[in-house]
Amino acid sequence: MNKIFAIAGKELKAYFKSPIAYVVLIITISVFNIFFFLIIDGNREASLRDVFKVMEFLFIFIVPLLTMKTFAEEKSSGTMEFLMTTPTTNTAIVLGKYLGSLIFFTLIIAITLSYYFIIEFFSNPERLETLIGYVGIWLEGAFFIAIGVLASSWTKNQIIAAISSYVILFLLYFSMSFIKYFSGSLETLVRYIGAWSHAENFTVGLISMTDLVYYVSGILICILFTRLSIENRLWH
Amino acid sequence: MIVLEHVTKYFGRFQALKDISFEISRGEIVGFLGQNGAGKTTIMRILTSYLPATSGKVIIAGGDVSKNSLAIRKKIGYLPETPPLYSNMAVRDYLRFAAQLKDVPIRQQRVQVDKVLEQCCIEGVQHKTIGTLSKGYKQRVGIAQAIVNDPEVLILDEPTIGLDPVQIIQVRNLIKSLEHKRTVILSTHILSEIQQIAQRVLIIKSGEIIVDETLENLLREHESNLEDIFLELHSASKEKSSYE
Repeated sequence: MNKIFAIAGKELKAYFKSPIAYVVLIITISVFNIFFFLIIDGNREASLRDVFKVMEFLFIFIVPLLTMKTFAEEKSSGTMEFLMTTPTTNTAIVLGKYLGSLIFFTLIIAITLSYYFIIEFFSNPERLETLIGYVGIWLEGAFFIAIGVLASSWTKNQIIAAISSYVILFLLYFSMSFIKYFSGSLETLVRYIGAWSHAENFTVGLISMTDLVYYVSGILICILFTRLSIENRLWH
Repeated sequence: MIVLEHVTKYFGRFQALKDISFEISRGEIVGFLGQNGAGKTTIMRILTSYLPATSGKVIIAGGDVSKNSLAIRKKIGYLPETPPLYSNMAVRDYLRFAAQLKDVPIRQQRVQVDKVLEQCCIEGVQHKTIGTLSKGYKQRVGIAQAIVNDPEVLILDEPTIGLDPVQIIQVRNLIKSLEHKRTVILSTHILSEIQQIAQRVLIIKSGEIIVDETLENLLREHESNLEDIFLELHSASKEKSSYE
Protein backbone atom coordinates (compact mmCIF):
# COMPACT_ATOMS: atom_id res chain seq x y z
CA MET A 1 0.00 0.00 0.00
CA ASN A 2 2.87 2.36 0.88
CA LYS A 3 4.36 1.78 -2.55
CA ILE A 4 1.07 2.67 -4.25
CA PHE A 5 1.07 5.99 -2.38
CA ALA A 6 4.78 6.51 -3.10
CA ILE A 7 4.17 6.08 -6.86
CA ALA A 8 1.00 8.20 -6.73
CA GLY A 9 2.91 10.94 -4.88
CA LYS A 10 5.68 10.84 -7.44
CA GLU A 11 3.13 11.10 -10.26
CA LEU A 12 1.38 14.02 -8.61
CA LYS A 13 4.63 15.93 -8.04
CA ALA A 14 5.57 15.25 -11.67
CA TYR A 15 2.30 16.88 -12.78
CA PHE A 16 3.09 20.06 -10.89
CA LYS A 17 6.65 20.15 -12.19
CA SER A 18 5.53 20.06 -15.80
CA PRO A 19 3.94 23.02 -17.60
CA ILE A 20 1.30 20.72 -19.15
CA ALA A 21 -0.42 20.36 -15.76
CA TYR A 22 -0.71 24.12 -15.27
CA VAL A 23 -1.83 24.66 -18.86
CA VAL A 24 -4.48 21.92 -18.53
CA LEU A 25 -5.59 23.26 -15.15
CA ILE A 26 -5.85 26.90 -16.26
CA ILE A 27 -7.49 26.18 -19.62
CA THR A 28 -9.91 23.64 -18.14
CA ILE A 29 -11.05 25.85 -15.30
CA SER A 30 -11.31 28.87 -17.63
CA VAL A 31 -13.44 26.95 -20.14
CA PHE A 32 -15.59 25.52 -17.32
CA ASN A 33 -16.06 29.03 -15.92
CA ILE A 34 -17.17 30.39 -19.30
CA PHE A 35 -19.71 27.60 -19.79
CA PHE A 36 -20.89 27.94 -16.18
CA PHE A 37 -21.60 31.63 -16.74
CA LEU A 38 -23.26 31.07 -20.14
CA ILE A 39 -25.46 28.19 -18.91
CA ILE A 40 -26.54 29.81 -15.65
CA ASP A 41 -27.18 33.11 -17.45
CA GLY A 42 -29.12 31.38 -20.24
CA ASN A 43 -31.16 28.88 -18.17
CA ARG A 44 -31.90 31.21 -15.26
CA GLU A 45 -32.25 28.20 -12.92
CA ALA A 46 -30.30 27.14 -9.83
CA SER A 47 -29.04 23.83 -11.21
CA LEU A 48 -25.68 22.58 -12.44
CA ARG A 49 -27.30 19.88 -14.59
CA ASP A 50 -26.28 21.39 -17.94
CA VAL A 51 -22.88 22.46 -16.57
CA PHE A 52 -22.19 18.81 -15.71
CA LYS A 53 -23.07 17.77 -19.28
CA VAL A 54 -20.59 20.23 -20.73
CA MET A 55 -17.93 19.17 -18.24
CA GLU A 56 -18.40 15.51 -19.17
CA PHE A 57 -17.94 16.34 -22.82
CA LEU A 58 -14.81 18.38 -22.11
CA PHE A 59 -13.29 15.48 -20.14
CA ILE A 60 -12.81 13.71 -23.48
CA PHE A 61 -10.31 16.42 -24.44
CA ILE A 62 -8.67 16.87 -21.02
CA VAL A 63 -8.13 13.32 -19.76
CA PRO A 64 -5.82 12.08 -22.56
CA LEU A 65 -3.56 15.07 -21.89
CA LEU A 66 -3.35 14.07 -18.24
CA THR A 67 -2.76 10.37 -18.78
CA MET A 68 -0.67 10.20 -21.95
CA LYS A 69 2.63 10.28 -20.07
CA THR A 70 1.82 7.82 -17.26
CA PHE A 71 3.48 4.78 -18.83
CA ALA A 72 4.65 6.11 -22.21
CA GLU A 73 7.18 8.44 -20.58
CA GLU A 74 8.50 5.71 -18.27
CA LYS A 75 9.06 3.51 -21.28
CA SER A 76 10.74 6.14 -23.43
CA SER A 77 13.05 7.35 -20.64
CA GLY A 78 14.03 3.85 -19.47
CA THR A 79 12.63 4.29 -15.95
CA MET A 80 10.18 1.45 -16.56
CA GLU A 81 13.16 -0.89 -16.17
CA PHE A 82 13.87 0.70 -12.79
CA LEU A 83 10.26 0.36 -11.62
CA MET A 84 9.95 -3.23 -12.73
CA THR A 85 13.22 -4.41 -11.21
CA THR A 86 12.36 -3.06 -7.76
CA PRO A 87 10.42 -5.40 -5.45
CA THR A 88 7.15 -3.75 -6.44
CA THR A 89 4.23 -5.71 -7.86
CA ASN A 90 2.87 -4.73 -11.25
CA THR A 91 -0.52 -4.15 -9.60
CA ALA A 92 1.02 -1.60 -7.22
CA ILE A 93 2.72 0.18 -10.15
CA VAL A 94 -0.55 0.41 -12.10
CA LEU A 95 -2.62 1.46 -9.08
CA GLY A 96 -0.04 4.06 -8.03
CA LYS A 97 -0.01 5.63 -11.47
CA TYR A 98 -3.79 5.54 -11.73
CA LEU A 99 -4.19 7.08 -8.29
CA GLY A 100 -1.77 9.91 -9.13
CA SER A 101 -3.80 10.90 -12.21
CA LEU A 102 -7.08 10.46 -10.33
CA ILE A 103 -6.00 12.79 -7.52
CA PHE A 104 -5.01 15.47 -10.04
CA PHE A 105 -8.37 15.09 -11.77
CA THR A 106 -10.17 15.24 -8.40
CA LEU A 107 -8.42 18.54 -7.77
CA ILE A 108 -9.95 19.96 -10.96
CA ILE A 109 -13.39 18.74 -9.88
CA ALA A 110 -12.84 20.15 -6.38
CA ILE A 111 -12.18 23.61 -7.85
CA THR A 112 -15.52 23.46 -9.66
CA LEU A 113 -17.31 22.93 -6.33
CA SER A 114 -17.22 26.72 -6.15
CA TYR A 115 -20.02 26.72 -8.77
CA TYR A 116 -22.35 25.15 -6.25
CA PHE A 117 -21.53 27.77 -3.62
CA ILE A 118 -22.07 30.54 -6.17
CA ILE A 119 -25.56 29.37 -7.12
CA GLU A 120 -26.39 28.68 -3.49
CA PHE A 121 -25.44 32.25 -2.65
CA PHE A 122 -28.00 33.56 -5.14
CA SER A 123 -30.66 30.88 -4.96
CA ASN A 124 -31.71 27.60 -3.41
CA PRO A 125 -30.36 24.71 -5.51
CA GLU A 126 -31.22 21.04 -4.99
CA ARG A 127 -28.38 19.89 -2.77
CA LEU A 128 -28.70 16.12 -3.25
CA GLU A 129 -29.12 16.37 -7.02
CA THR A 130 -25.96 18.46 -7.25
CA LEU A 131 -24.01 16.08 -5.04
CA ILE A 132 -25.10 13.07 -7.13
CA GLY A 133 -24.19 15.02 -10.24
CA TYR A 134 -20.68 15.55 -8.88
CA VAL A 135 -20.38 11.84 -8.02
CA GLY A 136 -21.43 11.04 -11.59
CA ILE A 137 -18.92 13.29 -13.32
CA TRP A 138 -16.17 12.15 -10.95
CA LEU A 139 -16.95 8.51 -11.75
CA GLU A 140 -16.96 9.23 -15.45
CA GLY A 141 -13.63 11.04 -15.19
CA ALA A 142 -12.22 8.15 -13.14
CA PHE A 143 -13.31 5.75 -15.90
CA PHE A 144 -11.83 7.94 -18.64
CA ILE A 145 -8.55 8.16 -16.70
CA ALA A 146 -8.41 4.36 -16.44
CA ILE A 147 -8.82 4.23 -20.24
CA GLY A 148 -6.09 6.86 -20.70
CA VAL A 149 -3.66 5.00 -18.44
CA LEU A 150 -4.38 1.78 -20.35
CA ALA A 151 -3.69 3.50 -23.69
CA SER A 152 -0.46 4.91 -22.28
CA SER A 153 0.70 1.40 -21.36
CA TRP A 154 0.56 0.33 -25.01
CA THR A 155 3.25 2.63 -26.34
CA LYS A 156 6.35 4.64 -25.53
CA ASN A 157 5.08 7.55 -27.62
CA GLN A 158 2.96 10.05 -25.66
CA ILE A 159 1.26 11.39 -28.80
CA ILE A 160 0.16 7.90 -29.84
CA ALA A 161 -1.06 7.29 -26.28
CA ALA A 162 -3.13 10.50 -26.37
CA ILE A 163 -4.57 9.76 -29.82
CA SER A 164 -5.49 6.20 -28.77
CA SER A 165 -7.30 7.61 -25.73
CA TYR A 166 -9.13 10.20 -27.86
CA VAL A 167 -10.34 7.50 -30.26
CA ILE A 168 -11.64 5.24 -27.47
CA LEU A 169 -13.25 8.09 -25.54
CA PHE A 170 -14.96 9.52 -28.64
CA LEU A 171 -16.29 6.08 -29.56
CA LEU A 172 -17.58 5.56 -26.01
CA TYR A 173 -19.13 8.99 -25.77
CA PHE A 174 -20.74 9.04 -29.19
CA SER A 175 -21.63 5.35 -29.42
CA MET A 176 -25.35 6.28 -29.28
CA SER A 177 -24.92 8.04 -32.63
CA PHE A 178 -24.22 4.67 -34.23
CA ILE A 179 -27.09 2.86 -32.53
CA LYS A 180 -29.25 2.86 -35.69
CA TYR A 181 -26.73 0.59 -37.40
CA PHE A 182 -27.17 -2.15 -34.78
CA SER A 183 -30.08 -4.34 -33.75
CA GLY A 184 -30.95 -6.99 -31.17
CA SER A 185 -28.41 -7.88 -28.50
CA LEU A 186 -25.70 -5.87 -30.28
CA GLU A 187 -27.87 -2.77 -29.98
CA THR A 188 -28.35 -3.45 -26.24
CA LEU A 189 -24.59 -3.85 -25.86
CA VAL A 190 -23.78 -0.60 -27.69
CA ARG A 191 -26.43 1.18 -25.64
CA TYR A 192 -24.86 -0.14 -22.43
CA ILE A 193 -21.28 0.65 -23.47
CA GLY A 194 -22.09 4.28 -24.30
CA ALA A 195 -20.75 6.50 -21.52
CA TRP A 196 -23.09 9.42 -22.11
CA SER A 197 -26.34 7.67 -21.16
CA HIS A 198 -24.86 6.51 -17.83
CA ALA A 199 -23.58 9.93 -16.92
CA GLU A 200 -26.90 11.57 -17.84
CA ASN A 201 -28.72 9.76 -15.03
CA PHE A 202 -26.32 11.14 -12.44
CA THR A 203 -26.68 14.70 -13.72
CA VAL A 204 -30.41 14.60 -13.05
CA GLY A 205 -29.86 13.20 -9.56
CA LEU A 206 -30.50 9.52 -10.28
CA ILE A 207 -28.27 6.77 -8.95
CA SER A 208 -28.83 3.35 -10.49
CA MET A 209 -26.93 0.16 -9.86
CA THR A 210 -26.48 -0.31 -13.63
CA ASP A 211 -24.62 2.98 -13.92
CA LEU A 212 -22.47 2.32 -10.85
CA VAL A 213 -21.59 -1.17 -12.10
CA TYR A 214 -20.79 0.29 -15.52
CA TYR A 215 -18.22 2.75 -14.17
CA VAL A 216 -16.71 0.59 -11.45
CA SER A 217 -16.38 -2.48 -13.66
CA GLY A 218 -15.03 -0.30 -16.48
CA ILE A 219 -12.33 1.08 -14.17
CA LEU A 220 -11.42 -2.38 -12.85
CA ILE A 221 -11.27 -3.90 -16.34
CA CYS A 222 -8.99 -1.10 -17.58
CA ILE A 223 -6.68 -1.49 -14.55
CA LEU A 224 -6.56 -5.25 -15.12
CA PHE A 225 -5.77 -4.79 -18.83
CA THR A 226 -3.08 -2.21 -17.98
CA ARG A 227 -1.47 -4.72 -15.64
CA LEU A 228 -1.64 -7.39 -18.36
CA SER A 229 -0.27 -4.92 -20.87
CA ILE A 230 2.88 -4.14 -18.86
CA GLU A 231 3.34 -7.83 -18.07
CA ASN A 232 2.74 -8.99 -21.58
CA ARG A 233 5.38 -6.59 -22.87
CA LEU A 234 7.94 -8.44 -20.81
CA TRP A 235 6.91 -12.03 -20.43
CA HIS A 236 6.79 -13.13 -24.02
CA MET B 1 25.12 -16.90 -4.77
CA ILE B 2 24.11 -16.82 -8.44
CA VAL B 3 23.52 -19.93 -10.52
CA LEU B 4 22.45 -20.05 -14.14
CA GLU B 5 21.66 -23.47 -15.57
CA HIS B 6 21.18 -23.96 -19.29
CA VAL B 7 19.53 -20.60 -19.79
CA THR B 8 18.27 -19.74 -23.26
CA LYS B 9 16.43 -16.68 -24.43
CA TYR B 10 14.54 -16.16 -27.66
CA PHE B 11 13.19 -12.86 -28.97
CA GLY B 12 10.75 -14.18 -31.55
CA ARG B 13 12.89 -16.47 -33.68
CA PHE B 14 16.15 -14.81 -32.71
CA GLN B 15 18.11 -16.75 -30.11
CA ALA B 16 19.81 -14.16 -27.90
CA LEU B 17 21.22 -16.61 -25.34
CA LYS B 18 22.33 -20.14 -26.10
CA ASP B 19 22.49 -22.58 -23.20
CA ILE B 20 24.23 -20.28 -20.73
CA SER B 21 25.46 -21.85 -17.47
CA PHE B 22 27.70 -20.34 -14.81
CA GLU B 23 28.00 -19.87 -11.07
CA ILE B 24 29.10 -16.80 -9.17
CA SER B 25 30.09 -17.04 -5.49
CA ARG B 26 29.30 -14.49 -2.79
CA GLY B 27 31.70 -11.55 -2.84
CA GLU B 28 32.99 -12.22 -6.35
CA ILE B 29 33.40 -9.38 -8.84
CA VAL B 30 32.67 -10.67 -12.31
CA GLY B 31 33.06 -8.79 -15.55
CA PHE B 32 30.94 -9.57 -18.60
CA LEU B 33 32.88 -8.80 -21.72
CA GLY B 34 31.52 -8.81 -25.21
CA GLN B 35 30.68 -6.77 -28.24
CA ASN B 36 27.43 -4.87 -28.54
CA GLY B 37 24.57 -7.33 -29.01
CA ALA B 38 26.52 -10.26 -27.55
CA GLY B 39 23.88 -10.89 -24.87
CA LYS B 40 25.36 -9.16 -21.81
CA THR B 41 22.34 -6.95 -21.17
CA THR B 42 19.93 -9.84 -21.77
CA ILE B 43 21.67 -11.92 -19.07
CA MET B 44 21.50 -8.95 -16.68
CA ARG B 45 17.83 -8.38 -17.42
CA ILE B 46 17.11 -12.04 -16.72
CA LEU B 47 19.04 -11.83 -13.43
CA THR B 48 17.00 -8.80 -12.37
CA SER B 49 13.66 -10.40 -13.36
CA TYR B 50 13.05 -7.75 -16.00
CA LEU B 51 13.00 -10.46 -18.66
CA PRO B 52 12.13 -14.12 -18.26
CA ALA B 53 14.43 -16.80 -19.61
CA THR B 54 12.83 -18.88 -22.36
CA SER B 55 14.24 -22.00 -20.69
CA GLY B 56 16.70 -22.90 -17.97
CA LYS B 57 17.00 -22.03 -14.31
CA VAL B 58 18.19 -18.88 -12.57
CA ILE B 59 18.91 -19.11 -8.85
CA ILE B 60 19.92 -16.06 -6.82
CA ALA B 61 20.61 -16.27 -3.08
CA GLY B 62 18.98 -19.69 -3.01
CA GLY B 63 15.73 -18.57 -4.65
CA ASP B 64 14.44 -19.34 -8.13
CA VAL B 65 13.94 -16.06 -10.03
CA SER B 66 10.88 -17.37 -11.87
CA LYS B 67 9.16 -18.32 -8.58
CA ASN B 68 10.36 -15.81 -5.98
CA SER B 69 10.96 -12.79 -8.14
CA LEU B 70 9.82 -10.18 -5.60
CA ALA B 71 11.91 -11.61 -2.74
CA ILE B 72 14.98 -11.83 -4.98
CA ARG B 73 14.56 -8.30 -6.33
CA LYS B 74 14.96 -7.02 -2.74
CA LYS B 75 18.50 -8.40 -2.72
CA ILE B 76 19.52 -6.88 -6.05
CA GLY B 77 20.76 -3.45 -6.98
CA TYR B 78 20.66 -2.73 -10.70
CA LEU B 79 21.99 0.03 -12.89
CA PRO B 80 20.72 -0.40 -16.46
CA GLU B 81 22.77 0.84 -19.41
CA THR B 82 20.78 4.09 -19.46
CA PRO B 83 20.54 5.32 -15.85
CA PRO B 84 16.84 5.14 -14.98
CA LEU B 85 16.37 8.69 -13.75
CA TYR B 86 13.38 11.02 -13.51
CA SER B 87 14.75 14.24 -14.93
CA ASN B 88 12.24 16.48 -13.14
CA MET B 89 12.94 15.05 -9.67
CA ALA B 90 15.52 16.31 -7.20
CA VAL B 91 18.33 13.83 -6.50
CA ARG B 92 17.34 13.34 -2.86
CA ASP B 93 13.64 12.88 -3.68
CA TYR B 94 14.53 10.31 -6.31
CA LEU B 95 16.72 8.31 -3.93
CA ARG B 96 14.00 8.45 -1.28
CA PHE B 97 11.52 7.18 -3.86
CA ALA B 98 13.92 4.35 -4.81
CA ALA B 99 14.33 3.46 -1.11
CA GLN B 100 10.54 3.32 -0.68
CA LEU B 101 10.11 1.00 -3.65
CA LYS B 102 13.02 -1.17 -2.54
CA ASP B 103 11.49 -1.92 0.86
CA VAL B 104 13.96 0.06 2.92
CA PRO B 105 12.18 0.45 6.31
CA ILE B 106 10.67 3.95 6.70
CA ARG B 107 12.86 4.83 9.69
CA GLN B 108 16.03 3.90 7.82
CA GLN B 109 15.21 5.60 4.55
CA ARG B 110 16.71 8.94 5.53
CA VAL B 111 19.88 7.31 6.87
CA GLN B 112 20.27 5.11 3.81
CA VAL B 113 19.79 8.04 1.44
CA ASP B 114 22.38 10.10 3.36
CA LYS B 115 24.74 7.13 3.25
CA VAL B 116 24.56 6.62 -0.51
CA LEU B 117 24.75 10.37 -1.16
CA GLU B 118 28.05 10.35 0.72
CA GLN B 119 29.31 7.11 -0.85
CA CYS B 120 28.64 8.38 -4.35
CA CYS B 121 29.93 11.90 -3.57
CA ILE B 122 26.70 13.57 -4.65
CA GLU B 123 25.77 15.33 -1.39
CA GLY B 124 26.49 18.66 -3.05
CA VAL B 125 23.85 18.12 -5.71
CA GLN B 126 21.21 16.38 -3.58
CA HIS B 127 18.69 19.20 -3.96
CA LYS B 128 19.34 19.76 -7.65
CA THR B 129 16.97 18.55 -10.33
CA ILE B 130 18.39 15.45 -12.01
CA GLY B 131 17.81 16.86 -15.50
CA THR B 132 20.27 19.69 -14.82
CA LEU B 133 23.17 17.39 -13.81
CA SER B 134 26.17 16.42 -15.92
CA LYS B 135 26.41 12.90 -17.33
CA GLY B 136 28.95 11.88 -14.69
CA TYR B 137 26.70 13.00 -11.85
CA LYS B 138 23.70 11.29 -13.44
CA GLN B 139 25.68 8.05 -13.59
CA ARG B 140 26.54 8.39 -9.90
CA VAL B 141 22.90 9.03 -9.04
CA GLY B 142 22.09 5.86 -11.00
CA ILE B 143 24.63 3.91 -8.94
CA ALA B 144 23.29 5.50 -5.73
CA GLN B 145 19.76 4.22 -6.48
CA ALA B 146 21.23 0.77 -7.16
CA ILE B 147 22.84 0.57 -3.71
CA VAL B 148 20.22 2.44 -1.65
CA ASN B 149 18.79 -0.86 -0.36
CA ASP B 150 22.28 -2.18 0.49
CA PRO B 151 21.89 -5.09 -1.94
CA GLU B 152 23.75 -8.38 -1.74
CA VAL B 153 24.08 -8.46 -5.51
CA LEU B 154 24.99 -5.42 -7.55
CA ILE B 155 24.47 -5.54 -11.31
CA LEU B 156 25.92 -2.71 -13.36
CA ASP B 157 25.35 -2.57 -17.11
CA GLU B 158 28.03 -0.50 -18.82
CA PRO B 159 28.46 1.86 -15.86
CA THR B 160 31.06 4.07 -17.52
CA ILE B 161 29.64 4.30 -21.03
CA GLY B 162 29.69 7.80 -22.48
CA LEU B 163 31.73 9.32 -19.65
CA ASP B 164 34.88 11.40 -20.06
CA PRO B 165 38.20 9.97 -18.74
CA VAL B 166 37.98 11.82 -15.42
CA GLN B 167 34.40 10.70 -14.86
CA ILE B 168 35.36 7.12 -15.80
CA ILE B 169 38.04 7.09 -13.08
CA GLN B 170 35.61 8.56 -10.54
CA VAL B 171 32.89 5.99 -11.31
CA ARG B 172 35.45 3.16 -11.39
CA ASN B 173 36.77 4.14 -7.96
CA LEU B 174 33.21 4.31 -6.70
CA ILE B 175 32.50 0.76 -7.93
CA LYS B 176 35.72 -0.50 -6.36
CA SER B 177 34.70 1.03 -3.03
CA LEU B 178 31.40 -0.89 -3.16
CA GLU B 179 32.81 -4.33 -3.73
CA HIS B 180 33.26 -5.43 -0.11
CA LYS B 181 30.94 -8.29 0.89
CA ARG B 182 28.91 -7.71 -2.23
CA THR B 183 28.65 -9.79 -5.37
CA VAL B 184 29.21 -7.45 -8.28
CA ILE B 185 28.44 -8.18 -11.90
CA LEU B 186 29.57 -5.58 -14.34
CA SER B 187 29.26 -5.51 -18.09
CA THR B 188 31.43 -3.46 -20.35
CA HIS B 189 33.28 -3.47 -23.61
CA ILE B 190 36.07 -1.39 -22.11
CA LEU B 191 38.73 -4.00 -21.44
CA SER B 192 40.86 -1.92 -19.08
CA GLU B 193 37.82 -1.53 -16.85
CA ILE B 194 37.52 -5.27 -16.35
CA GLN B 195 41.25 -5.51 -15.77
CA GLN B 196 41.08 -2.93 -13.00
CA ILE B 197 37.91 -4.01 -11.24
CA ALA B 198 36.99 -7.64 -11.85
CA GLN B 199 38.43 -10.85 -10.44
CA ARG B 200 36.80 -13.08 -13.02
CA VAL B 201 35.89 -12.61 -16.66
CA LEU B 202 33.07 -14.06 -18.73
CA ILE B 203 33.52 -13.37 -22.41
CA ILE B 204 30.22 -13.58 -24.27
CA LYS B 205 29.86 -13.82 -28.00
CA SER B 206 26.61 -14.22 -29.94
CA GLY B 207 24.77 -15.43 -26.86
CA GLU B 208 27.39 -17.97 -25.80
CA ILE B 209 30.03 -17.89 -23.12
CA ILE B 210 33.33 -18.50 -24.84
CA VAL B 211 35.53 -17.84 -21.79
CA ASP B 212 34.85 -18.20 -18.06
CA GLU B 213 38.13 -17.70 -16.24
CA THR B 214 39.68 -15.75 -13.41
CA LEU B 215 41.47 -12.69 -14.66
CA GLU B 216 44.72 -13.91 -13.15
CA ASN B 217 44.57 -17.28 -14.94
CA LEU B 218 43.51 -15.72 -18.19
CA LEU B 219 46.40 -13.28 -18.25
CA ARG B 220 48.88 -15.96 -17.17
CA GLU B 221 47.74 -18.54 -19.73
CA HIS B 222 47.83 -16.14 -22.63
CA GLU B 223 50.83 -14.13 -21.44
CA SER B 224 49.42 -10.94 -22.84
CA ASN B 225 47.00 -8.18 -21.95
CA LEU B 226 43.23 -8.50 -21.93
CA GLU B 227 42.82 -6.59 -25.18
CA ASP B 228 44.98 -9.06 -27.11
CA ILE B 229 43.25 -12.00 -25.43
CA PHE B 230 39.83 -10.64 -26.31
CA LEU B 231 40.78 -10.09 -29.96
CA GLU B 232 42.47 -13.49 -30.16
CA LEU B 233 39.51 -15.35 -28.67
CA HIS B 234 37.08 -13.39 -30.74
CA SER B 235 38.80 -14.13 -34.03
CA ALA B 236 39.33 -17.80 -33.03
CA SER B 237 35.65 -18.14 -32.27
CA LYS B 238 34.81 -16.44 -35.58
CA GLU B 239 37.04 -18.85 -37.53
CA LYS B 240 35.54 -21.80 -35.69
CA SER B 241 31.99 -20.77 -36.45
CA SER B 242 32.76 -20.08 -40.13
CA TYR B 243 34.52 -23.47 -40.35
CA GLU B 244 31.46 -25.19 -38.85
